[in-house]
Amino acid sequence: MDIKNEVLYRVYILLFGILVPIAVVLMYRTVDIAILQGERWRQEGEKKYLDYRQVEADRGNILTADGSLLATSVPFFDIYFDPLAASDEDFAKYKDTLAHCLATFVLDNYTVGGALEYLENLRKGDNRHILLKRKVTYDGKKFIEEFPLFSLGQNKGGFIARKRSERKRPFGLLAQRTIGYVRDSAHPVGLEGRFNKILSGTPGSEPMICIDPGKDLWIPVNNLTAIEPERGDDLQTTIDIDIQDIAESALLRAMNFHNAEWGTAIVMEVKTGAVRAIANLGRSEEGWWETYNYGIGAAIEPGSTFKTASLMALLEDDLIDLDDTVSIEHGVTSFYDEVMEDASPYSPKLDSIRIREAFLISSNVGVSKLVNQYYGQKTKANGNEGAARYIKRLKDFNLNLPTGVNIDGEANPYIKEAYSTADDWSGTTLPWMSIGYEMKITPLQLLTFYNGIANDGEVMKPQIAQAVLRDGKVIEKYLPTVTNRRLASDKTIRQAKELLLSVVEDERGTAHKLKTDNFRFAGKTGTAQINYKRSSRGTSIGGYQASFVGFFPYEKPKYSCIVVINRPRDNGFYGSDVAGPVFREIADKIFTTQVALHKPLNSDPKPMLTAEKLPATSLGAKEDMMVILDYLDMETFGEAETPFVVLRPQSDSLIMEPRNAVENLVPNVYGLGLRDAVHLLENAGLRVTVVEGAGKVRSQSITAGARIKKGTPIKLRLN
Amino acid sequence: MSLGTRIASELKGDRAIWAIVAILALFSILVVYSSTGTLAYKKMGGNTEAYLMKHVVVVAGGLMLTYMAHLIHYTKYSRWAPTLLVVSIPLLVFTIAFGPEINDARRWIEVPFVGVTIQTSDFAKLALLIYVARAISSKQEYIKDFNSAFLPIIVPVLIICGLIAPANLSTAALLFITCMGVMFVGRVAMQYILLLLLLGVVVFATLVLAGEFFPDVIRSATWTDRVREFMEEPDGVDQVQQAKIAIANGGWLGLGPGNSIQRNYLYSSHSDFIYAIVIEEYGILAGILIVLLYLFLFFRATRLVTKSPKAFGAMLVMGLTFNMILQAFVNIAVSVHLVPVTGVTLPMISMGGTSMLFTCVYFGIILSVSKYIEAVSVEAEAT
Repeated sequence: MDIKNEVLYRVYILLFGILVPIAVVLMYRTVDIAILQGERWRQEGEKKYLDYRQVEADRGNILTADGSLLATSVPFFDIYFDPLAASDEDFAKYKDTLAHCLATFVLDNYTVGGALEYLENLRKGDNRHILLKRKVTYDGKKFIEEFPLFSLGQNKGGFIARKRSERKRPFGLLAQRTIGYVRDSAHPVGLEGRFNKILSGTPGSEPMICIDPGKDLWIPVNNLTAIEPERGDDLQTTIDIDIQDIAESALLRAMNFHNAEWGTAIVMEVKTGAVRAIANLGRSEEGWWETYNYGIGAAIEPGSTFKTASLMALLEDDLIDLDDTVSIEHGVTSFYDEVMEDASPYSPKLDSIRIREAFLISSNVGVSKLVNQYYGQKTKANGNEGAARYIKRLKDFNLNLPTGVNIDGEANPYIKEAYSTADDWSGTTLPWMSIGYEMKITPLQLLTFYNGIANDGEVMKPQIAQAVLRDGKVIEKYLPTVTNRRLASDKTIRQAKELLLSVVEDERGTAHKLKTDNFRFAGKTGTAQINYKRSSRGTSIGGYQASFVGFFPYEKPKYSCIVVINRPRDNGFYGSDVAGPVFREIADKIFTTQVALHKPLNSDPKPMLTAEKLPATSLGAKEDMMVILDYLDMETFGEAETPFVVLRPQSDSLIMEPRNAVENLVPNVYGLGLRDAVHLLENAGLRVTVVEGAGKVRSQSITAGARIKKGTPIKLRLN
Repeated sequence: MSLGTRIASELKGDRAIWAIVAILALFSILVVYSSTGTLAYKKMGGNTEAYLMKHVVVVAGGLMLTYMAHLIHYTKYSRWAPTLLVVSIPLLVFTIAFGPEINDARRWIEVPFVGVTIQTSDFAKLALLIYVARAISSKQEYIKDFNSAFLPIIVPVLIICGLIAPANLSTAALLFITCMGVMFVGRVAMQYILLLLLLGVVVFATLVLAGEFFPDVIRSATWTDRVREFMEEPDGVDQVQQAKIAIANGGWLGLGPGNSIQRNYLYSSHSDFIYAIVIEEYGILAGILIVLLYLFLFFRATRLVTKSPKAFGAMLVMGLTFNMILQAFVNIAVSVHLVPVTGVTLPMISMGGTSMLFTCVYFGIILSVSKYIEAVSVEAEAT
């Protein structure tokens, strides 16, 4: 073998014996890691240094029925500083002015010198995430962003603003508990809780990578895996903020006046079941607060307000006639060893009265005796069912069911099963149940029942949420829902309504003092004893729970309303004294603010118009006149093309006359209101100086028709 | 004459090797630009261009060196070899004794007045490879003899490798193996090569022992740590795991230029673990291309060996190529977790001033050989 071949031979050994095998192993190993074990290592990588930071979506708003904001999210920023981001040059160049800006506007407890020292110390440290200020508004953030050095941005200036948001309730306390909240540390409540999914939207995610595991420094990666957050949808409620305000302030006044424990007031629209207002006030250390949704969550013994259901059961089973008499035994009777007494001042004087009277004076004895008489035994009349028949009727009235209102936290009602030992049914259960004890129901559930009576027997499901809106468009609607098409027969409903009206309108009715001439309303008072059960030591806290539930206007019920006030301590405790006035105030204010409830002035046949009845020499802007006359459906005659006109009655018709303001002549302002008069005169170039009296202009110091000298003062006398 | 043909006419020698140089240089610029992202973020205020520019300048300078080196007739290197070797010994000693400590190792010295640090081992390596090629070729007639051939070759090899080893064991080992390979190709008797292997082991053992007494000079603690880690961690140490994640992220086609994620965590992403970044951004196919390019380089070198009229050219090409490829393969093997972590760079791709420049000189010398071989063969055909 010659030298050259031997060399070549050895080179090939080197190549194919060593290098090629190594190359193959390397290539295989690469494929092995990347493909065969690829999944594992990719996961490992994501676990280690790739993180998806959740980007909160903007939370949707909660709106009133007319679109005002009940709850909205306001963004704010936490301002951080990365002292190591800036280059040495920039830091040295800007640190003085930055310190000045920070000390002046951001860092409250630093002087300029102190801030400078602080900055220099930060620069020496290794913390790259220094909190400068929390909760800065958007404008504040924009301002701080422009500080020297910060204006270079995050990478070169170290300015970091972290966006967060805060839930604001523009109406403050109003319906606060119903709006509710979602917090990390507490169970979500109210609409915020119930509709959290809809409101919160879909959070986005932003991929972050850790660029320095040692310092835990993360930066966002801009790639296609970032998911933009989707803003939450808005929730439109049925709440009418005006009514809510009325209800809440009326309730608040009563709570203060009566020094009560807690109270609730709910206003519901009869036709739709829409809850227009729900106020809840509870005692707290800082005064009254919407601490708990009593109206929805508190199942209570209703007391007398339940008598309506008892009489309706009797009527529905055709067991009584309202004009039958019942012996109320001067207001005291006993069932077994339990004594029952009436609270009515009329009761002691009366023995036998008509059933309808027993109801309107809210006789416990009368109602319980009736129920006990007709349902106490299994008779032919009650289909041999006895108390079971009564319970069945209550169930027909849906009184055993939650309303299903679309908000969380509704308590279940509690109605005992007839003769059930599990429910501790006893001989006294039936009579006491008939007057609203030994059972539990929430104010909203009771209101729903009364609303059904007002709505001629059609029970509406109460609703607080009305629609879901996205970008202002309705994407989901919660339509009014009928939960019971026929609460009872028409006759029973009619009679129930009459009974409730008599409570207000009959002179002996428990709510008679609440009667108003402005509109008619019907309802029932309740004064329930609470904490009456004696403890083993023989003490009891005692106290009462005042309530009133009803609807208005009687003829065409528009709203039903319940007011419950727990443990009034001062100034009376009867339902008619404590809860009734709140109901009246709410009804009054709603009535006055809602023109639609008023009986139209022109609903009666048009009266004969005579000159004496017609408005005499009314003067005013023509536009305003026309609106009023149109509304009153009154015709006028005459042509008047001037901005101001005068109405002049003539026998049975109205003449509209022009009131001219001729240029350069002093206008006649006789009969005008001050504002209109000043407007006219000053526009004409005069100066109104002295004004005497109030009302309409009776005289002017410069006679109408005189030539105007600009700037001349003119005096007006009004009466 | 267009610019392309003009450049082509200037570049003498094996076109295929020029192409390999160009492709590797291109890869180098692309990948270094990506992988220095965090380095730039940390040290230059996010100015990645600064690193890119610096690297482009180094690559351009390197290519100039290649060009210049390939102009010089390769036999001149043979003449310079003894001088270079003699100079490199005190340089290495000086480095061990007085070089600044960077990353726990003394590998660099600062060239006075210029302010450039160079890795003296690179210089010594080149000197030794030229010397070994010269020695083997000049002693071809009695190459199997121990005293007259083997000893003169082996003594400088042991001295140089022994001096490099304390601070940079892997480089020394690779150089040692390269020299063994060249000797093997240069027909040194097998029993001497085996003897050499034995010697190497002995020297290594001595160094490890000495390291116990001179931990400042000899990094034996680091070596044993790395080997132990390699044995004990089935998934590799953190850096190796990061490299594997990078490779897995890349898949067949890669994440695309500039999209590397792992560059943020791989401490030496621009040098020791650059192969992983190449794959992360350009995929396995790019990785395989690089392996094949190095292999292809060896094929071209083999072609030169068969054609070289003088043994020196053949041995020189063999030594330089073999050393580069070994280095490349070891670098890749670290990234794919086949060997313990070492600080070996990927020739022509990794960022790093002196290493890049010397690699360029290697290529220049190889091209010089190819250029003159072609000239000779053309002459031979002409006559």
